[in-house]
Amino acid sequence: MICFDNLSKRYPGGFEALKNVSFEMDAGEMAFLTGHSGAGKSTLLKMLMLMERPTSGNLLINGKNLNRLSNSQIPIYRRQVGVVFQNHQLLLDRTVFDNVALPLQVSGYPSSEIGRRVRAALDGVGLLEKEQQKPIALSGGEQQRVGIARAVVHKPRILLADEPTGNLDPELSSEIMALFRRFQNVGVTVLIATHDITLINRMQLRIMHLEEGELTDDGAGYGR
Amino acid sequence: MAAKDRNTRDRAQRGASGKKIRFADRWQGYKSHHRDTIRVSLRKLLSEPLQTLMTVAVIAIALALPSALYLTVENIDQLGSHFESSAQITVFVKKGAKPQAIDSLRAELDAMSGVDSLSYISAKQALLEFKALSGFGSALRDLEENPLPAVFLVQPAVSEPIDMGQIKRLMNKINSFALVDDVQIDMAWLQRLHSLTEMGHKVVVALGAALGLGVLLVIGNTIRLSIQSRRDEIIVIKLVGGTNAYVRRPFLYTGMLLGVFGALAAAIMIYASLLWMSSSVANLAELYQSQYRLQGLGILGFLGLVGLGGLFGLGGAWIAVSKHLRDIEPK
Repeated sequence: MICFDNLSKRYPGGFEALKNVSFEMDAGEMAFLTGHSGAGKSTLLKMLMLMERPTSGNLLINGKNLNRLSNSQIPIYRRQVGVVFQNHQLLLDRTVFDNVALPLQVSGYPSSEIGRRVRAALDGVGLLEKEQQKPIALSGGEQQRVGIARAVVHKPRILLADEPTGNLDPELSSEIMALFRRFQNVGVTVLIATHDITLINRMQLRIMHLEEGELTDDGAGYGR
Repeated sequence: MAAKDRNTRDRAQRGASGKKIRFADRWQGYKSHHRDTIRVSLRKLLSEPLQTLMTVAVIAIALALPSALYLTVENIDQLGSHFESSAQITVFVKKGAKPQAIDSLRAELDAMSGVDSLSYISAKQALLEFKALSGFGSALRDLEENPLPAVFLVQPAVSEPIDMGQIKRLMNKINSFALVDDVQIDMAWLQRLHSLTEMGHKVVVALGAALGLGVLLVIGNTIRLSIQSRRDEIIVIKLVGGTNAYVRRPFLYTGMLLGVFGALAAAIMIYASLLWMSSSVANLAELYQSQYRLQGLGILGFLGLVGLGGLFGLGGAWIAVSKHLRDIEPK
């Protein structure tokens, strides 16, 4: 599903964020990406979101080389990816419902379909009764769950998360991780960048480790 | 991993994905999206009433000024044609012409096509009139002979709009009679008026262009600020797969709405000032025993103004959007 092939990213100014990174992830696989701040975790996720283009090497998604996608094809590609951010990136002037509906609206779903899917997604994260509230009225954990609902409402094949539990206490963190597990179980490929080592060590899943832009451990085979 | 292995798995996933959106649904979604976008744009404008009101007022003034000038010029044009229809040709008869010759000239003039009516003022009559009106009566008494010629006043048969060429041809024809000394028409001031209104039209175009540019810039600037204040939203929309067109749309609608509102306000300003002036114009026209009335925008003018406002709004928004949206990419 995801295949990094000798991918490097060098930023203008010479900083090498990723150095010859190669790994593969199967469909329906869940893995963690660890490493210190600045080790390249965010850059790697940005590659998968096409927020950055590699300097060299290839990134294949479902057999398709992302280097061959033109800029105008980026939005269409992003519709098959769901992203959860550490700072959740919710729009504070819109209701929970409208926030979650956004990925469906931009893809041109009819409103009846949007209502059905948004409620299903909110139900999945246990926030159905809060759909008409503004995100500001929710707790940190609830906000993160709204972010997750938004990331999965359009049934993406790939779910990415950048420090999704960064601001949450351990109990809420394991709740969030359990949510991700559920999406993995229905066939979504899940990749989570985190440095919450204690949490992920308990989960018995593949852990990839980045150090100064190099993949020192790709954890392949672990927990499979 | 073997390539073959990957291919079989990809095909299986494609089959299982099943989230293709039907075209009819997509079209429905597209339509309702446009409706929603207009509604949201409108609500955003109304949520900042003062800011919106000021922008609309600036646009309205910028649109009302050239429109009002245009109406003024048009009305002066109308006024001119009112007077043109009363244009009179003065035919001076050669001095010492015999009364029979004058009679036959009168018959000939009367028979000419293009002549509506004519009246004759003999040299004696002219002198009496001049004495009575000029106040030089005593000075004229010392003259040995009457210095004034006999005169025919010819009213040309004219149709609207006035064809100056036709009147010129008539004058030349009359001038070719042996008995005619000179032919004059008091249209110099009308011609001046014509060139004045022609210049007025050009001023309207120049002013319209300058203020139109102003409207573009005002709307462009408003949209630029709106883009900056909605930066986060734009980034999120792009991250979840919104196309540039999707991001652009609400701003274009906002610009168009601002332009249309500005044009509506300009139309109201123009109607109000016409209403304000109409009674004094009617009074003035009455003094001249004229049926002259001020011409307003009319339905076509109104629609044109609103259409132009919308177009300017769209244009200004387009400039701002194409300049500033590109800079906002998720990082």
